[in-house]
Amino acid sequence: MARQVDLLPGNLDVVILKAISLGEVHGYGVLLRIEQISGGAIVVQQGALYPALYRLERQGLIESHWGTSDNNRRAKFYTLSSLGRRRYGEEKASWSRLAAAITLALSATPQEI
Amino acid sequence: MRTLVRAVLHRDDVESEIHEEFEHHIAMRAADLVRSGLSEDRAAHQARREFGHVDTHRAEARLSRGLQTLDQVRFSWLDVKLALRMLVKHPLLSLAAVFALGVGIPVGIAPAHLANAVEAPLPGDKGRRVRAIRLWNPATSSVDVTSYEDFAFWKATLQSFSMMAAFRTSSYNVGSEDRSAASVPGTELSPAAFPMLHAIPQLGRALNATDAEPTAPAVVVLGHSLWESRFGSDPSVLGRSVRIGREMRTVVGVMPAGFRFPANEQLWLPLPSQSTAAGGALSPVRIIGRLADGISAEQAQVELSARGLSPAADEPKARARLRPEVVPFGLLYLGLPRGGFESLLEYRFVQLLSIVLLLVACANVAMLIFARTATRFREMAVRTALGASRARIISQIFVEALVLAMVAAGVGVFAIGWGLQHVNLAAIAGQTALPYWLSLDITAGDLTRALLFAAISATVAGVVPAIRITGKAVHQHMRETSGVRFGRVTGALIVADIAISVAAIGFALAIADRSTVGESDRFAGIPAAEYLAVQFRMPDDGRASDGARRDLVERTAAEQRALVASLRAEPGISGVAVGSALPRMEHRSVPFEVDGEDRSPDAPPQWVRTAQVDVGFFEALAHHVVAGRDFTRTDVDSGRRTAIVNTAFVAHALAGKDFTGRRVRFPARKGADAAWYEIVGVVEHLGVNMVNADKGAAVYLPAAPGSINPMWIGIHTSAAPSSVAPRVREIMNTVAPDLVMGDVKVLNEVHQGDWYLIVGVAVGLAILVGVLVVLATSGIYAMLTLSVSERTREIGIRTALGAQSHSVVLMILKRSLMQVGIGAILGLPIAARVVHLTVGATLGQSPLMSVSMAMGLAASLVLTVGVIACTIPARRILAVDASEAMRSDG
Repeated sequence: MARQVDLLPGNLDVVILKAISLGEVHGYGVLLRIEQISGGAIVVQQGALYPALYRLERQGLIESHWGTSDNNRRAKFYTLSSLGRRRYGEEKASWSRLAAAITLALSATPQEI
Repeated sequence: MRTLVRAVLHRDDVESEIHEEFEHHIAMRAADLVRSGLSEDRAAHQARREFGHVDTHRAEARLSRGLQTLDQVRFSWLDVKLALRMLVKHPLLSLAAVFALGVGIPVGIAPAHLANAVEAPLPGDKGRRVRAIRLWNPATSSVDVTSYEDFAFWKATLQSFSMMAAFRTSSYNVGSEDRSAASVPGTELSPAAFPMLHAIPQLGRALNATDAEPTAPAVVVLGHSLWESRFGSDPSVLGRSVRIGREMRTVVGVMPAGFRFPANEQLWLPLPSQSTAAGGALSPVRIIGRLADGISAEQAQVELSARGLSPAADEPKARARLRPEVVPFGLLYLGLPRGGFESLLEYRFVQLLSIVLLLVACANVAMLIFARTATRFREMAVRTALGASRARIISQIFVEALVLAMVAAGVGVFAIGWGLQHVNLAAIAGQTALPYWLSLDITAGDLTRALLFAAISATVAGVVPAIRITGKAVHQHMRETSGVRFGRVTGALIVADIAISVAAIGFALAIADRSTVGESDRFAGIPAAEYLAVQFRMPDDGRASDGARRDLVERTAAEQRALVASLRAEPGISGVAVGSALPRMEHRSVPFEVDGEDRSPDAPPQWVRTAQVDVGFFEALAHHVVAGRDFTRTDVDSGRRTAIVNTAFVAHALAGKDFTGRRVRFPARKGADAAWYEIVGVVEHLGVNMVNADKGAAVYLPAAPGSINPMWIGIHTSAAPSSVAPRVREIMNTVAPDLVMGDVKVLNEVHQGDWYLIVGVAVGLAILVGVLVVLATSGIYAMLTLSVSERTREIGIRTALGAQSHSVVLMILKRSLMQVGIGAILGLPIAARVVHLTVGATLGQSPLMSVSMAMGLAASLVLTVGVIACTIPARRILAVDASEAMRSDG
């Protein structure tokens, strides 16, 4: 398992959006999917996931409906709304720019100054 | 937004969804843990542990869904129960508040209630399809005359109406076997009116088209109450011949009790086509029509406007300015403009006043709630300390105010409903009955408006003080155990209340005094209780041809003369005054000009009250001319244009100068020529209406019996006047069978015109004064109660140190009494000014009081109320035990 990393405040939302963007999924599934796609590096505290999901739903970024999960129980499934898809795209681009900038900054040598 | 709306509307569902989702998560995790080798029990336990504290996550989840804010303003039955308990716990305060809003809320809804009532459809008008068609005169803002020609023209040309009917109302003498005739209101109408209003007769048939033909037999349809009263509900009345006016008519039908079209008519005759009035002039009729299927009133109006007026009508130029209109029937009947009450400035003013009254009531109730809540600081502080948010406490106080306002609205609406059922509104309006289509019952719309006003009142009266109290005061209370005090605003409110109370009471007293002027037995020096006043009218018979009508006019004129002569000759009758109006009655107001006066052509016309009187009028009323001479038979017979004026006319119109040789005329239109009348004499005041026994300019013109219609006869008798009435009827039946006998009353019981207005104003003021006095009293009471509870400890210390009880009471009451005093002093000049401007002029000679007396009474009344309001809290102060008071933290 990869070494766990701490998420920066506000980054949980974009990770959740990514997880949901990969396909309809229930709350527990979001948790497993984040672990899976981050190679086990991002572990979301279980109970803390739901406030984030509800907030995203309230913002109209994700939508939900009730269905039946693998264990034959009623479960709430989340999908990305078109607004969420757009927001995810923006967040992703913004993150890439930030990451590239920070990587560049951190790789700077004394000769480059 | 959708999530939030759902959260509000389906709160419980949302809560259970959160719970279900959490449980699903824990079960899935437990299943994974079982697959990894844990026992089911340990897996379930570990899954819960990993999930974390469920309540904390739920709280966070609720916060994310926006539910927490709602929680704070959440209302529960507990709030309602608490509010009801508060009502019972502070009965006096609740009573005052309920009274204030119980008056304020109905007064608030009353204008809209009335405006809607007059535009209600006629009974039987399914789908609100029947409309009146009328001519509106924008210059005078009044309904102009529509003629039969107009009716015929519109009926032939308008496509927007599937049916049209014309009608005109009159009074008819209905004969019976014992030869006694009674005057009954009736209508000549197009037979189409019956199917138009879905009016099905109770017996026989309604009128039909053939009845209206000139050669058709004369028929009549009776109203239910006429059938009951005159024919003993006899079913065999059909086919019987009854004398209606001068004609014998066959009864063909009896209408049910619910049909009294157009107002309270009791018999219906067919309106002859080509109907003309006496002298060949076009006969005025009123017109209704039913809108054709699929046509709206607006479309009908467009067609009517395009079509215009009948080209055949007289005076096309004068009528060119008239506007044909399609309006609800009530607007035609009451002569209201097209927009109804709402388009009247007066209505807007009344509406504004009613809202102001409601707001004043709200402000005072807010003060009461403020006082009530202020006594609960400890409770508020403890709840705040335990975590109750400000919004939660405000919402609770709002619910308390809402419960109060709802109770008040319920009481107010119930009282109005009861009042409308039991108070004779028709009598107040000076009518025998209200129009049958005017229903003043409380409607669902009224209830909705009352609830809306209750909610607004609760917001003003509950939320405003709640915000103030839950502000820094609660925290301050927690720190230093000190409550709030009434501020300047509330003090000013009390002062304003008192001032308005004094002004209103003073005005009400003056008005009440004024209305008693007309009530007294002696009116303008005339012993009114000794006079019988009887009204006679010429019959109105639309079936008569021009020639026949002229004959009728001549014959009834002769009958009038014979009647007056017979009455004068009757033993026991000492005087007979004949005129178009008797003293106490509303005299006709007309514009006038005096010769030799240079007035600008643009100057507004001057108005004077006039009456046509027979020779001997003044003498019969125990008045004699004070200058010049009385009318003589020659004035009447020769047609000389002479006039007698009263002293007020000399003072105002002639500027007190000599009347000899002066002339007066009454132009019907500005600038138009009219005949001059020479002033030959002056009389003292006889009164021009009930409330002006001793003021108001009047001009009397000579007229012989026969030329006055309707004619009032004042019979001066030595016996009780009412005992003479049957004899008068007998004489009339003998010598003047064609005349229609109207009202018969003793002169001091005649109530007309302005008197009703004044009584209406007096009743309104009495209610206003009651509300204001109760509010002011409860305001002072609330303030004193709080003042005492705040200063209990101080009082204890003062008493323990040996202060006299009366000095302690005085200390507490000083502020309140000062406010009452300031209010009374401020109110007095306002009241005096208002009274002076309105009714002051007559108060000087009033039999009861002068302005200063009315004002003095008002001020002392308010002061007494103020002192009483102070007494109860003062007694509480004296009951405070010093040692207990010093232990208290208040």
